[in-house]
This record gives sequence, structure tokens and C-alpha cells, in this order.
Amino acid sequence: MALFEPHNISRIDRSPGWIERIPGPYWALAILLLIMPSLASDFVLFQIFGWSFILGMIALSLMFLAGYGGMVSVAQMSVAGIAGYMVAIFGESAIDQISMGWPWFVAIPLGILIAAILATCVGWLAVRTEGIYTIMITLAIAAAFFYFCRQNYTVFNGFSGFNGVLPPELFGVDWRTAVPFYYLCLFWAALYFLVVLYVSRSPFGLALQGVRDNPRRMAALGYNVTAHRVAAYTAASIPAATGGILLTWQSAQISPGTISIGPAIDILVVAIVGGLRHPIGPFIGAFVYVLLKTFAVDFLTSLGLSGERFQLIIGLGFLVIVFWSPDGVLGLWEKFRNWQKRDPLRGQEGGIE
Amino acid sequence: MRRFASRHPWWSAIIVVVAFILLWMMFAVWPEWLSDLIGSKKLFLNALFNGITLGGLYFLVASGFTLIFGLMRNVNLAHGSLYLLGGYVGYFVASWTGYWLLAFPAAFIVMALLGLLFQYFVFRRMEGEDLRQTLVTIGISIVVADLMLWSFGGDFYNINPPEWLSGPMDTFFITAVKSSGDYVFLRYPMVRVVIFAASVVIGLAMWIALNRTRIGMLIRAGVDDRDMLSATGVRIQLVFLGVFAFGAGLAGAAGVVGGTFQSLAPGEDTRFLLASLVVVIVGGMGSIPGTAIGALLVGVAEQFGSVYFPTYAVVLTFLIMVAVLAFRPQGIMGRS
Amino acid sequence: MTPSTATESALELRNVSKSFGALAALSDITFSVRPGERRAVLGSNGAGKTTLFNCITGDFPPTSGNIRFFGEDVTDFAPYERIRRGLRRTYQISLLFAGLSVADNVYLACRGVSRGRFSFIRPRRNDVLLQSAEELMHTVRIDGVRDHLVSELSYGQQRQLEIAMALAGAPRFILFDEPAAGLSPTERAELVNILTGLPAHIGFIIIEHDMDVALRVSDYVTMMHNGRVFKEGKPAEIEEDEEVQSLYLGGAHG
Repeated sequence: MALFEPHNISRIDRSPGWIERIPGPYWALAILLLIMPSLASDFVLFQIFGWSFILGMIALSLMFLAGYGGMVSVAQMSVAGIAGYMVAIFGESAIDQISMGWPWFVAIPLGILIAAILATCVGWLAVRTEGIYTIMITLAIAAAFFYFCRQNYTVFNGFSGFNGVLPPELFGVDWRTAVPFYYLCLFWAALYFLVVLYVSRSPFGLALQGVRDNPRRMAALGYNVTAHRVAAYTAASIPAATGGILLTWQSAQISPGTISIGPAIDILVVAIVGGLRHPIGPFIGAFVYVLLKTFAVDFLTSLGLSGERFQLIIGLGFLVIVFWSPDGVLGLWEKFRNWQKRDPLRGQEGGIE
Repeated sequence: MRRFASRHPWWSAIIVVVAFILLWMMFAVWPEWLSDLIGSKKLFLNALFNGITLGGLYFLVASGFTLIFGLMRNVNLAHGSLYLLGGYVGYFVASWTGYWLLAFPAAFIVMALLGLLFQYFVFRRMEGEDLRQTLVTIGISIVVADLMLWSFGGDFYNINPPEWLSGPMDTFFITAVKSSGDYVFLRYPMVRVVIFAASVVIGLAMWIALNRTRIGMLIRAGVDDRDMLSATGVRIQLVFLGVFAFGAGLAGAAGVVGGTFQSLAPGEDTRFLLASLVVVIVGGMGSIPGTAIGALLVGVAEQFGSVYFPTYAVVLTFLIMVAVLAFRPQGIMGRS
Repeated sequence: MTPSTATESALELRNVSKSFGALAALSDITFSVRPGERRAVLGSNGAGKTTLFNCITGDFPPTSGNIRFFGEDVTDFAPYERIRRGLRRTYQISLLFAGLSVADNVYLACRGVSRGRFSFIRPRRNDVLLQSAEELMHTVRIDGVRDHLVSELSYGQQRQLEIAMALAGAPRFILFDEPAAGLSPTERAELVNILTGLPAHIGFIIIEHDMDVALRVSDYVTMMHNGRVFKEGKPAEIEEDEEVQSLYLGGAHG
């Protein structure tokens, strides 16, 4: 499958001066994102950018697993949801008979820890099989978790879940107002983006990509392939869990609807549409998805269709991408670049294939 | 059978004991303490039969899925959509014509044609790329689900069985003894019994067709070694088309069954897709007997769960899957 | 057998059999190799040589029998556990990471048999493993192409890279699966130099069709035929043996 061609394994960089090596467009993007609050409205900051960063983080965890590890897990939204639920349960929410009201510096790490433990269990189950089975098993796990949360009232408060889950008022800032929330999400998204980029060339990341391309050879080099895969699930749970907590804060609630099959598949859609080859892909995919979700209604009504046909647009867009560009928007971009770089005499594409 | 017993003496013993207990619980008049412990026998029998008949329905849906996967390695995650769409087709055919029985061939044929289109336009182009197939079929199921929601709305549709099938029938299972000494027999919906019998017949027919006929030999040869099959000059694409059409048609017909048993509504496609996934993961990919065992296990577990621990019925199904994956990742009847 | 005699051999196979369904690929293989010994395994195609390697490394566990590595029963060990105990192998068909540079391939091999496999920290420039990777590349003379992607290498260079990866860490025993196949005469000569130049404590088994290479680097020969050990002896004895000549050498040399 073209998604997982081995040639995007990155080389280990040994050259000095990492600041000089950051390409210009990245600087431009970083500056643009930093000054965004002076350009955009509160709605755009909170709804569009905030949500894009959050979805991007959850999809980033899938990109890490699928792009580097070759394991397509549909359970990443469940991992995010667990963290969100745990923060609502250990911290404060409007459901005081369940929420314990512990301080944020206990509730948040505990939430991430529990998400990581459960993600490890999911990984342990999922890596017992390979390839396509991974999708099926993680889909079944995501479904089971959704039904469980919906039917359990003692801990997960069943169908209605938790509302009134708010971020702590740290440093006297209300983090749910647009600008602070924007910077909060930007900070974590950028951090995880950079961490994933960094880890991809660390021994763990390189070995994970080796496991993806040739597990048998990795075992013959002394790597415990199963342990590496499970560890990838654990590592990937951290950005997902953070995204889940931010998502809970953004909508001030978490309920089974947040983690049902639909959203779980949406994360897959976001990651695939963006592209699994580079950690920037999930964020591109999330941005496209959020734009579509926000403006599809206007677009559809202008076509004379009901705004409810949003899923149709998403589904068709996804189909187009997987049919014609399995590497997502990133793949389209690469194709465009190669086309530009084409040798006019031979008509061959540049780049190493 | 004998080989299994000699190879796994403990498992065989456990299966025999469980079967014996089940039979006893089905036929014996329950003593007081048992009723006190787990409720009336009627409750138990109803849960058991509902589970078995639900297993029959799951089998119909999942066998198409596993057949398509087993032969062609095609992962069709739009299988649930075929089920629900088949149900809708059956509903309209049954209500227009007034003949319930007509709904089955109609749903079967329409879904089989749709399956042909899938195989011809989608799967044939991405043979061997199972991840891409999965993604494409996920996309298709999103689109089809929304189209169905658009066309049929969010209402519940129920397909009514004809009069000669509706209503309960008497069975020979004693649920209680009256003070007068008369036996009370269990009454059970006729239509469920008939449909279950039909799915058993279909399952047996599939098994016989696969194991005893020439075309079945071809299909099984294709499962084992596709290159060899195409090398012998068999027009494998034709066999593939046929199997895909059959599997899709089966899902459509199952939709009619589901619409009669339960109801058709948005979301049922995902539910049955998930049920099929769990069934084939438990039973073993590509194995018809495995699918039957998996479907029965999942169906019975779901019904017992909803009767005896209603909150965690789904979790019970999930636990079965976890247990199977932990001890036998290839499924109960799957080949490693 | 007493434990002391068991520890004398680097690798010891006792009644190892492997069957795939009804097909017996290996039947009742028993032999042992001393530490530092260089052994050639010869035999026609389908004699079970590569299957033998797969059993020793644990890629496929044997159907029955025992394998001891420096006295330790490793029969039920996962492949990576055997590798970490000092066993190495090369593959007949190069299994390399085509999208990685030569240096990264060797680095992965070095990292696989050391600590820090799960490290999230990128190696620093003075990392010990990076340095030992450089040395290995120098040993097999591929340091000139250290920054090339494996997919850009010539066939011979890929074979050399395979050998470099097998030498990573502190190997105690190496299995070479047809390292000379497809190499030019000059490359073969170089290969013989590399193999004969290995430190004396490193033993190996080499599967090789090229009799010149096999007999020059080995001090003992095991002939296999139809999944069985057919004859064992010094290279000279094997070359002289009439049965061997009629069965194998005769066929190979036309």
C-alpha cells in the first residue's frame, strides 16, 4: 500500500545548526500562527483554530501509529475520550454526585496516565494481529467503549455524560476565552508536532519505522517487535489524551456522543486526508475537516441542499482522496512539487521513488 | 470431531459438560432454588432462544463478509450498509406488493447487483491493497449512510411478517408446572423459529456448496492459492464477481430478516457491521463453521447479557472477543 | 551429556526436525560447533540449509529437537533474545531498510543489540554506537557510501552492508546465508578477506554454493541432503569423497 512506502524513513541528522535547517515556510507559518489573534475573530480562534489543533493532536497520535508504525488504530478517539472523562470525573463538573473535585494538578496527570494505561491495553490486544485486523479490532474496541460509557451511570453518567467541565483558572486567566484557549491549543499542538518530528529520528522512532517495513528483520537485529509496537500505542496516547482533555474543555462537556463510532472514524478521515507521511498532515487534515464542518452548511444551502448533508460531503471528499491520492493532501502537494521539478527534457519526475 | 477430542481433552470435556447443563436447563422442570437464583425458566428460555435466533441473523450477515474476505482478501466495511439498504429495499417491496416473501429475493438481487458494482469498480482496482480497500469502503459506508438518511429519514421501519407467521407458536419446552399439575409450555414467536431454520438451511447449503461441489472446490482452491487457480485457466474474476454478489445479496436478505425481527433505522448499519466484525474475529476469518460458532456465541451472549446484566451486555460480547484474541488470535476456527 | 561438555560448543543442535505440514524440511539434525569454529554447510537447493538457519535464529521454531547456544537452551526463545545473546545472521535475499541510509541501517543494527532501543532521544554526534557503526562500515569497506540510501546501492554493496549489520555489537556466532551469491570475482575475494579476517573468537556457519569461497573460509564442512546431515569432515576430506562428488560437486561443476 502506497501509504506505507519505506522511503520516508528519515535519516539521522548529525549536521549542526538545527535552527538554520528549519525551512523558511515553517518560520512564516509559526509567525502567522502567533499573531493570528490580532487578525482573526474570536469565533475563528476558538472554533476553527482551537478545534483544528485539538483534532490535529488526536489525529497526530494516529499518524504516529499508522505512518511510522504501520498500525491503523481507530481507537485513538476512545483514548482521547478516556482522558476527557477522567478529568471530568476526578476534577470538577456540573455532575457533583460523581465528580470528585480534585485539583487540576492531580486530575489532569491522572487522566493522561489512565488513558495511557488503557491505550497500552488496546495496543497489547491489537498487536496480536496485523494489518487489516488492527482496524477491525480497534473499531470493535472503540464501539465497546462507546456502549459501555453510554450504559454505565455510576462512573460515566450514561447517556448525558458530564457537562460544566471547565479548565482551571490558572494565573488568573479564563482559559476558555478565545485568545487564551487559542494559545493553549497552539502550544500543545506545536509541542507534540515537534516532539513527533524529533522522536521520528530517535532510536525508538527509527526502530518503529523499521518494524513497519520489516518486522522479521527487526527481530533478527535484536528488537522485540511486539514490545515496540505496544510502546508505540502508549506513546501515541499522550497527544491523544491531551487533545481529549482540551476537547472536553472546549465544549465544556464530554458524553458518549464525543467518542461514538462517527467521531472515531472522523479521526481516521482527518489523518488520511491530511496525509500520514509527516506530522504536519494531521493538522492540515483537521483544518480542512473543521472548515468543511463549519462552512458546509452554507455551502450546501447555496447549492439548494439541506445543511444536514454534511456527512455526504465528508464521505465523498474522503473517497476522492483515498481513490486518487492515498497520501492525502500532503501527497497531492508532493505530486505538485515533483511535477514542478520535472526534468523538461526527459519528462521524468524528480525525487527518489 | 474425534481428532479435536483427542487433541484437546480438556476443552472437549468442558464443552460436553456445558452442553449437558444447557440441555438439562432447557428440558428439565426447574427446581425452586434455580428460579430463585436466576429468575424464571421462561426468562432463561426466551433469552436463550432470542440469542440463538439473533445468532442466526448475525450468521447471515457475517457469512457474506467472511466469504468475501476469505476468498478475495477484500475487506468490505460497507457490508453493514448493504445490510441496511437491503432491509429498506425489502420493506418497500413487501409493502408495495403485500408479499413478505418477495422482499427476500428483491433485497438479495438488488444488493447482489450493488455488490457486483463494488467488486467491478472498486475492489478489482485495488486488489491486494487491503488498507486502501478498507478506507474506500469506510468512505462508501459514510456516503451510503447519509444517502439512506436523506431518502428514508430517521424513522424506524418494521417489516411485518404475513399472518401465517405472526404470533407465537407452542413449543414443547416446559416453563412451569401449574398447581393443578398441568404443564405450562413456552410460546415463542413463529417467525423467529422459521427464519432461524432458514438460516440454518442456508448455512448448511453454503457449507455443502463449498465442500461438495465443483464451484466450491474452485472457491476453496482460490482461498488457498489464487495464483494456482488463475494458472489453471479458471476465470477467477468471474468466480470473484459471483462470490461478491452472493455475499452482498446475503447481507441484503439478512436486512429483511433484521427488519422483521427488529427494526431498520440509521445506525443499524454500523451495529451490524460491528457485529459481523466481532463474529468473524471470534469465529476466525474466512471460515463458515467458525462464523456460525461466532454468531451463536455473540448472539447468545448479547441476549443473556441484556437479560441478566443489562448495563454491560455489550461488554460481555467484547470480553468474548478479548478472550479469543488473547488465547487464539486467529479465531476459534481460524487457521494460523 | 554433562553440562560441562555442553558449554564447550558454541552452537549445538540435537535431533532438530522441522516440517511444514506433511513436508519434512529438516529431519533429525544433530551437530555441534565449537566457539570460533568456521563451518560450511553445503548441499543442493532444497536440502534444508536456509530452514536450518531459520530454526537456529528462531524465525521458525523447530517442530522438535533442541538448540543450545553457548550451553543455554534457546529452543523456545524469541529471535530477538537469541540475537541479544550474540547470535547473528545474514539473509540470502537482502532484507535491508531500503529507505534508510547505509549509516542508519548499521546504526539500527548496533542499537538492536545494545541498550536504549526505546530511547526517545536522538543520538548525539559523539554517540558510541554511531562510532561503532562507522567502524563497521569501514571494516566492510562501505564507508564511502555511508550517506547513500540503501536503494541506491549496488548489489555487492548491499551484501557487504548485510555483513556489516551482522557484525554489529559483540557477535559470538554468525550465520551467513550465501553471502557470495551474485558477487563479482573481485567482490568475492574481498568477502573472503573479510570472513578470514574476523576475530578468532567469532565462529560462523556459512551456506555457500561457491565451493572456492566455502572451502577457503571454513575449517569443517557439513553436507546436507534432503533435510538430513549427509556427511561431515574436513574440507579436504569432503572434496575427496566420492559420494559427495557424485551427488553435489559433480552436479554443480557440470
